[in-house]
Amino acid sequence: MDPMSDSLSHIHLELHGDPVQRDEFIRLYLHRRLAPQLAEEFENHYLGCDQCYTELRATELLIHALGEPVLERQRVNDVTVLRFTATSELLAASLELNELSKAIRTQSDTKVLIDLSKVSRIDSTGLGVLMNCYCHAVKNSGALKLLNPDAPVKKVLQITKIDKIVPTFEDENAAIASFQT
Amino acid sequence: MDLSAEDLDRFRTRLRFKVCYEVGFACPDVDDIVQESIARFLVAIQNGSIRNTEAAGAFLNGICRNVISEYRRRSLRDEPMPEAVPEPPAKRLSETDLLELREAIAQGLAQLSDRDRRILRAFYLEEKTKEEILKQTGLSDQNFRVVLFRAKEKFRTIYLERTKHPPARRHSGI
Repeated sequence: MDPMSDSLSHIHLELHGDPVQRDEFIRLYLHRRLAPQLAEEFENHYLGCDQCYTELRATELLIHALGEPVLERQRVNDVTVLRFTATSELLAASLELNELSKAIRTQSDTKVLIDLSKVSRIDSTGLGVLMNCYCHAVKNSGALKLLNPDAPVKKVLQITKIDKIVPTFEDENAAIASFQT
Repeated sequence: MDLSAEDLDRFRTRLRFKVCYEVGFACPDVDDIVQESIARFLVAIQNGSIRNTEAAGAFLNGICRNVISEYRRRSLRDEPMPEAVPEPPAKRLSETDLLELREAIAQGLAQLSDRDRRILRAFYLEEKTKEEILKQTGLSDQNFRVVLFRAKEKFRTIYLERTKHPPARRHSGI
């Protein structure tokens, strides 16, 4: 068997075996983290394989869909309201947490209200990020407030006494009005 | 090696994706690179250079890599060197694709539960391993595979409906 056929057979086995393993492989390719030689072998393969090319494009669409922003930014008067578009968890290494941190640190908004109504869980890393965002806002002569936390999140904010430092509101109008005083 | 018009069309579509992946969707010369690669591929077939028909994809990929290298060398020669290192090519879908697909993608996503979405984000975006996700979520291996299967099925359908290709034979196992 020539080296090219040998290489194709090897990758065929990997891609047509366990579907989870195949998707890990495709994921690496799409994120450009596959070693160059493996990427080339994968291209050699999918150019001639209906099934793998379809899986590649379907995964690409899925990754794109999942990568749609989870945070929505709305401007009310001079206050920026940040809302999560779907149920989210502010846990270590969760993408929502990274997005929230980025949204606050990379923007020049000084009055920020974070709507926590769709946040179902928060851990110490999530609390840390919230406090970092609060400090960032205060350092820049701004303010950061929280809106409508769900019961479990509210409880965590109370236990850690963060609700005594970061003003927390149940009503959006009241929260926005509080920035003017 | 005989190549039908349908085979050629399939190679062209896939090669276009590969070229976009290499040079970026915004590159204005994508179609020229694809066309040049296909032209050289056809000449090679006519000359009987492809001995192993199973490896036609690999052969075409090799040709395409040469065409892209030549294109890059030509671009560097013709254009002044950039002051800053250019951004790597876009790895997202092209804007045209997005416009056509936005609604279908949104519908596909809306059909996934919050739990499924979190699991899929952990796997495809946060690049966690299956084992890490199982440990974090308490899911069984079988449940994890079902979540992946359902999501892939939806997006496979979206892709196939758009391209109007006959459905590909599905991998077994999930």
